[in-house]
Amino acid sequence: MLYQAIVVALVVFLTVGGQELLGFTQLGRPIVIGPIVGLLLGDVQTGLLLGASLETIFMGVVNIGGAMAAEPGLASALAVAFAINMHGGLGVALPIAIPLGIIGVEVKTLIYVLVVGPFAGVFDRLAAAGKQRKYTGLHFGLWTLQWFLYSLIPFFAILFGSTATQNVINMIPASIINGLSVAGNLLPAVGMAMLMKILWENNISVYYFLGFLIVAYFKVPLIAVAVMAIVIGVVSAQNDYRMHKIEKKADERPVAAASSTGQTNIETTDELENDDFFS
Amino acid sequence: MADKNDLTSREKKLLRQMYWRSFTLYSAVTPAKQGASGFEYTMLPFINEFYDDEEEKKQAMVRHNSYFNSNLALVPFIMGVTASMEKENSQTKDFNTDSINAIKTSLMGPLAGIGDSVFWGVLKAIAAGVAIGLAKSGNILAPIVFLLIFNVPVQLIRWYSGKMGYTLGSTYISQLYENGLINILTKAASTIGLMMVGAMTSQMVTLKVKWNMVVAGKKVLETQSVLDQVFIGLLPLLITLGCFYLIKKKNVSLNTLIFAIIIISVLASLAGIV
Repeated sequence: MLYQAIVVALVVFLTVGGQELLGFTQLGRPIVIGPIVGLLLGDVQTGLLLGASLETIFMGVVNIGGAMAAEPGLASALAVAFAINMHGGLGVALPIAIPLGIIGVEVKTLIYVLVVGPFAGVFDRLAAAGKQRKYTGLHFGLWTLQWFLYSLIPFFAILFGSTATQNVINMIPASIINGLSVAGNLLPAVGMAMLMKILWENNISVYYFLGFLIVAYFKVPLIAVAVMAIVIGVVSAQNDYRMHKIEKKADERPVAAASSTGQTNIETTDELENDDFFS
Repeated sequence: MADKNDLTSREKKLLRQMYWRSFTLYSAVTPAKQGASGFEYTMLPFINEFYDDEEEKKQAMVRHNSYFNSNLALVPFIMGVTASMEKENSQTKDFNTDSINAIKTSLMGPLAGIGDSVFWGVLKAIAAGVAIGLAKSGNILAPIVFLLIFNVPVQLIRWYSGKMGYTLGSTYISQLYENGLINILTKAASTIGLMMVGAMTSQMVTLKVKWNMVVAGKKVLETQSVLDQVFIGLLPLLITLGCFYLIKKKNVSLNTLIFAIIIISVLASLAGIV
């Protein structure tokens, strides 16, 4: 159990923490962490499947500037470890993971506010004094400190939590476990809804239904849908651009007549540049 | 496009450093100033290159130790613009240094908006969608495919937009805005993203109704097959749209929704519906 605890803590440190050092590389996503933990604990398949399921559920959870609704990385690492310990508790592992994700984000916020937060003043002083080396040291030091603290959660959770969780799960009746796996299949709806919140505009909402229909009735793989979507996106951008040019000409005419001809010249060079941009 | 060859080899080295250092933007995020320390760390090579006077260096350090928050894929562009302004400041006497932070601030909001919808909403969704399909069929390459689909475009954009920001300065992006081209690009990206999300909804949100109407020991209504005849995946679609409605219009939090779904599923299972 100590080996597992160390491995999982290390994976969390290097991926969830690592993605803050190697920003925006998506290292800390469930689809990456799941298989890694699975591989290290000797069951890649469980890791892959759980990673995929958790990735769908947490699809819409995006971490923008430290503010997020859940921390999928910790949840995935622990869910995979527990599932492997309990030998194939896939349906059960999902609902365990979700509260863990929420606890994870609470702890992360706590560290963020109480441990890193107070150093804002130190950064100010070092900048004012021009102490570059110390400033850089603090920049990386705080990274190490906060993710070390964060990795202690999976360490102790695995060390002490595995047997306790197993005992609790053995007591749960079958119909509740069935309900939990049903929930596991429905929860991606929340992730999708979060993405729709980012993307939805009424005038393009039909494309959501088009995407749904293509997969529901024709069972097209996602990569093919992606290519179709890109074709549609390019065509509609070309149309919009044409419309935009026409509208602009209509708007410009009275203005151009009133002002100097120099302005229209600038306009045309702009358009040439934009043509480049699209070709 | 401006000629990229007019960069000195010294400047090319600085831009390389910018690319690598900007990875750490959020390494020490503080509630008050977000990515300030990462931005400062990235600017240090430029500050040391452009200024000789210790006092000027200190002033520049204070300048960049200010609130910064944007989308990581497009941050190098802002850094490039900022660096080019620092260079101008070091060469011009009456340069208004307030304009440096003003440009930074004016760029970070809009770029975060586009970046988040393009990279989180579209690219990340496509990468995850493809990788999830692979992972479910047991393909061990899933995480690698995921990282490649996401990172190859992002790293190219990070590298070239940084260079672009430095050579073209701040005029270019404001031109894109004034032309209204940004809106066209955002709309096209959102279209792609939305269609992918629709496809993923169909593939990933699943529900089978077990309850059937039974009269005198005979099944008279097989609920699931009737539902499928109406429209395949009708219930998952409605549930997803319901979640979207609650999040968008009612501001229901993610965690509330997750727990509500778990509780309702368990109750429905106990009642024998699913």
